[in-house]
Amino acid sequence: MVLREKGGIVKKIGFLLVMFLGVGLTNSYAQISSDEVAEKASHVSYYQGKDGRSLAHMVITDAQGRTRERKMAILRFNIGETQEQRYYVYFHMPADVKGMSYVVWKHAGRDDDRWLYLPALDLVRRVAASDKRSSFAGSNFLYEDVSGRSVDLDKHELVDSDESFYILENTPKDAGQVEFSFFKVWVDVKNFVPMKAEYYNKEGKLYRIVEVLEVKDIQGYPTIAKMKASDLNSGAQTVAEFLDVTYDIGLSEDIFTERYLRNPPRQWIKE
Amino acid sequence: MHRAKRILAVAAFVLLASGSRVFAEFSALHGFFEQAVALRISDDKPTKHKSYNMAESRLQLKGQYNFSGDNLFSDWQAVFRYKGDLTYDAYFGGKTDFEPREANLSFGPAAFMDVKLGRQVLTWGTGDYLFINDIFPKDYVSFYIGRDDEYLKKPSDAVKLSFYPRPLNIDFVVIPYFEPNTLPEGDRLAFFDPFQGGIAGRASDRHLIGPAAQAENFEYAARLYRNFGSAEGAVYLFRGFDKMPRSYKDEARRQLYYERQDVFGASLRGPFAGGIGNIEAGYVRSPEDSDGDDRLIENSSFKAMAGYEKDLGGDLKAGFQYYYEQKLDYGAYKAALLPQDFFWDEHRHLVTQRITKLFKNQTVMVSFFNFYSPSDQDGYVRFSASYDITDQWKVTAGTNIPWGQDEHTDFAQMKKNKNIYVRIRYSF
Repeated sequence: MVLREKGGIVKKIGFLLVMFLGVGLTNSYAQISSDEVAEKASHVSYYQGKDGRSLAHMVITDAQGRTRERKMAILRFNIGETQEQRYYVYFHMPADVKGMSYVVWKHAGRDDDRWLYLPALDLVRRVAASDKRSSFAGSNFLYEDVSGRSVDLDKHELVDSDESFYILENTPKDAGQVEFSFFKVWVDVKNFVPMKAEYYNKEGKLYRIVEVLEVKDIQGYPTIAKMKASDLNSGAQTVAEFLDVTYDIGLSEDIFTERYLRNPPRQWIKE
Repeated sequence: MHRAKRILAVAAFVLLASGSRVFAEFSALHGFFEQAVALRISDDKPTKHKSYNMAESRLQLKGQYNFSGDNLFSDWQAVFRYKGDLTYDAYFGGKTDFEPREANLSFGPAAFMDVKLGRQVLTWGTGDYLFINDIFPKDYVSFYIGRDDEYLKKPSDAVKLSFYPRPLNIDFVVIPYFEPNTLPEGDRLAFFDPFQGGIAGRASDRHLIGPAAQAENFEYAARLYRNFGSAEGAVYLFRGFDKMPRSYKDEARRQLYYERQDVFGASLRGPFAGGIGNIEAGYVRSPEDSDGDDRLIENSSFKAMAGYEKDLGGDLKAGFQYYYEQKLDYGAYKAALLPQDFFWDEHRHLVTQRITKLFKNQTVMVSFFNFYSPSDQDGYVRFSASYDITDQWKVTAGTNIPWGQDEHTDFAQMKKNKNIYVRIRYSF
């Protein structure tokens, strides 16, 4: 393990927003544009509530059936009504990264700021991480799956809709930045939760699926309790469960600074 | 054994201060067990063992107590953390040792303040394996024989006070007991010993004299820091001793000592050109030789560095650093030298590169770190590859290849210690 990245798995830890799926209570089947669907899906996926916490438990299974586990506490804080957010991740598992903490300042339109604290070295390291299409914590989720892909990066087309889903086809404006040629998303018409995403490669072949397995109502917000990412090329998959999700817990913005990176906020990171 | 006494003193303080009404949440015990071997690949081997320089087993245990219940320690969110390494060292005939790496109590007695008391690892500054304002002790033996990076940092017995008023954060550290860097002594690693006139192994018999343990020799370090948007600025102050024995106490008795040292520095780090950039500088004052004309005492110096790291995508990262060091009052130093003295250059330039690539869903990491000094004509290649076989088992292999033309420069003096190492670790 090198000084800068203690174990590969923490390398791309971003922020797991997906568990904070909130509900858009408006319910408009008709007369909705593709951009509106994309924006609402993004909003309910990543910005509901003022703040929140969750305990994420991931099980990564490779094609041979071998498993690895990740467990982390995740705190989120919205900066007012802007797209800016703060994230705090504290690792409980695996054992060799236990005690590491990670802070992300998510920005709109520029690279996020990320800091990683390695307790064994008492080192606060600034993490250079501009590639959001790389694995999150060694799982089959990508950084962008969990941090949210900005709706401004794609063109959205409403290709179909029925009484259950709006089906969006999203094409990147800058194809050179991503590994897919387009992805399709099934957005629940009732609450705008994106229930399934299919990614197609440059040859037009489906190679990756992200799907929601369970949605719970928590404090009035429909919340993803379980989801799965499958890599069809390698045969590997990751199932993530989000436990103890709570919203609007009154986090302070101070939590997302070097002070608490070095001294994890005990009451919020409990297993 | 005064180290053990200090640990006990901290533990006693915790118990006394907490009284009988304290309840602690005991966390589970974690840690790892590791086997490590390093084989020598240098030709000339003046050290104790000719074919290897590391063969050891290590058990690390760590845990913490979170104070809870209705008492002051609970209100202060107090945590007692401990971590210790039990080692069996086959290099020294199966010597066993216990090193407490952490045994400290941290608590927040006020909203704007944190305290950390006891044995702790201390780090600040912006360099990658390069240190200007991080004046805390390092273990360079561990670094060169291929132990985990964790062991480059030595713990200090210290009191750390952190203050968080709005405009500026302040860390203030008091280190009552001087802890020097761990350096080669010739038995495990050969190094340049001026008393032996070159690179020496077991023949070395120099004596290193540390400052006496008394109040006037307490060390003080401070960091004042804040963010400017996404950039982080810091100012550093230090009053204490050089962690390297660079000055002569008594030449005839082959005595070196750690001269008094003050450091004033600053750093800036933040997003730059699609990556992370950092700059750091420091003025190192040598108050025992402020004119620089004492040939036996290290001169004052100026140090500066600039670094850049970029994520190239596909789990590939690259970093570069440039480091510059200038010995001040060089004319006075040179004029004071005697004909038989070894002398040091005025300027030192050093560049480093780091490339890190992850494979197989980030379970395999390959890292290449290279130091090169065009002024000293020496360098040091560190290559390592690791594989997380499972969440518990990890194997790491690597090389340490210091090289150089001369014998006295930083990396060249280590050139007889080239090795290949393997470590296997089980974490729990």
